Amino acid sequence: MTKTNLFSKIKNFIHSDAFIFLLPAIILIIVFYLIPIVVSVYMSFTPLKNWNIARYIHEFVGFENYWRFLYMVTHDPTVRPIFITTVVFILITLAINVLGGLGLAIATFFMGEREASSTQLLWLLPRMTPIAVYSMIWYYFFHGSEIGTLNSILMSLGIIHNPIDWGQSIIPWGPWMIIIFVNGLVGVSYGMIVFTSAISNIPKELVIAARVDGASNWSITKNILIPLLKWHIVYVTTWQMLSLLTTYDHIFLLVEWGLVNRYYGTTWALYIYNMAFTAAEKDLGLAAATGVILVIVGAILGLLALKILGFEKMVKEPRGDI
Amino acid sequence: MSAGLRDIELRSRKTEILIVATVLIFSIPLILSYSLLVLSSFSKEMVTNLNPRDFIPTLRNWILFFEGRTAVFGGIRVNICHIVLNTLIVALGVSFLVTLVGSMTGYAVSRLRFSGRKKFMALLMLLHAFPGSVMVVGIYFLYLMFLPSYQMVRLYSFFFVIVARASLEVPMATWLMKGFFDMIPWEVEWAALVDGASRLKVWRKIILPMVKPGVAAVMLFGFLAGWMDIIYVRTFLVDQTLATWIESNINAEYSYLPLVAAAGTFYLLPTIIFFLLARRLIFTISATGVKG
Repeated sequence: MTKTNLFSKIKNFIHSDAFIFLLPAIILIIVFYLIPIVVSVYMSFTPLKNWNIARYIHEFVGFENYWRFLYMVTHDPTVRPIFITTVVFILITLAINVLGGLGLAIATFFMGEREASSTQLLWLLPRMTPIAVYSMIWYYFFHGSEIGTLNSILMSLGIIHNPIDWGQSIIPWGPWMIIIFVNGLVGVSYGMIVFTSAISNIPKELVIAARVDGASNWSITKNILIPLLKWHIVYVTTWQMLSLLTTYDHIFLLVEWGLVNRYYGTTWALYIYNMAFTAAEKDLGLAAATGVILVIVGAILGLLALKILGFEKMVKEPRGDI
Repeated sequence: MSAGLRDIELRSRKTEILIVATVLIFSIPLILSYSLLVLSSFSKEMVTNLNPRDFIPTLRNWILFFEGRTAVFGGIRVNICHIVLNTLIVALGVSFLVTLVGSMTGYAVSRLRFSGRKKFMALLMLLHAFPGSVMVVGIYFLYLMFLPSYQMVRLYSFFFVIVARASLEVPMATWLMKGFFDMIPWEVEWAALVDGASRLKVWRKIILPMVKPGVAAVMLFGFLAGWMDIIYVRTFLVDQTLATWIESNINAEYSYLPLVAAAGTFYLLPTIIFFLLARRLIFTISATGVKG
């Protein structure tokens, strides 16, 4: 594309109807998505500390923050756990989200109307609950002393005799179990919603015919539902993978309140946030470099996701234009 | 939802009970932990360990909560009305902005042909892969760069947190609204356009009233997003909201925890109301969203 071509294209766009409608979104996207990323890239080349912008912002250290990042990942025993945690967290939570969502959608399909809608409401609750309340609920559930619900159940059943500090003493699986459980419950509802609405678009005749032929629940699931949901399964898997890579708000309070281990309960995204906002010494250059690498990983996975999903197929040409 | 496919014709009652029972077993932690929170808010002691002796019914927590007393002893008094109001301002602001921007953008991608349309939609999807925590670092930098004078900081922080938080929801709102606009027969607006009305007028006067359920849905989702947020609020907002109030009270020595449970239950209320209002909506919406 030549320069003048691009120029006239932009000019045409500004004079089109679409421009007015898109302007607010474009401004928001530029200010709150694109500029922050550019700023992060810039910060990653400075020795910025403790938000002392005036002092550090004109100093450059080149790629030093990136080398420090690389060195810490390979050598620092407090940083390596975070990356292992991120990988384990994404893989297991993803499996729970997709399979759990699929399980719930299929289970509610075989239920009566009332049971189905109560189940759906119940499993949507975690997603809709304010994060502070949600974290508080699981804080008490997994609490390490005898006041913890899980401990008290296991103790009254006689399975354990002393309370177990789940998030702090059983390293690494204790904190992993908690963050996977807490995020898994939130993520399951997404798959459930997508799969349920996909199932409701399946022609009724297919299922009725199978029933008349004497098909069992299992064979209906295996031979009708799952094959028709294939595309949706791919969609939910890729979408949730991206969500899990970047999520941190549902873990934040669990770490801050000391429910889970700081190293084996923190994921990559949360690590960046804490380095920039809650650490005693806020090493922003390093936080930004760590963040830029996460952005690159996210972008690669995101583009891959669009390819896998066949994005072109999802976007039809608009109909209402003269 | 009721219009959807449901396997009711010929299934056996026995297997259905089995399935319901299985789902119920998996739901036990969920039901248990939420019930314990609500129960604690009506008790003198936290009821977390299934010990019936801890449950001493009282309304005191709720009375203290509305009186704004965060501790039973000592003089710490927080005006809880202010905290609730702050939370409400953020939620309503986010809701308004998300609805406005989402319905404009959704209309454009559903109805208008412009160069770069596909790229724009791909970008909207890709924004989802942008790590929130990296963005917060960059946004905080902007926040500091444009920090106004001391008197204006509180106002500025409200404005900033609303706009920043709303922009996170714009991709979701756009896709959602696009699904709703796609369903409207375009002959309606075509007629108006031929009569010489401008696009903006057609959108506002004719199309928007036809997608009321979609607008309602985006408003509700936007409200909840602002209402439940903790990260943006604790990073940018000078004043406290319910989220940051709970955050600072869980581990504090002075806090009286059943009171925090009452605050938590109160904080949960809009979610419950939302459920009762919109249970149908959630599923119709997501159905259109996927087809989009």
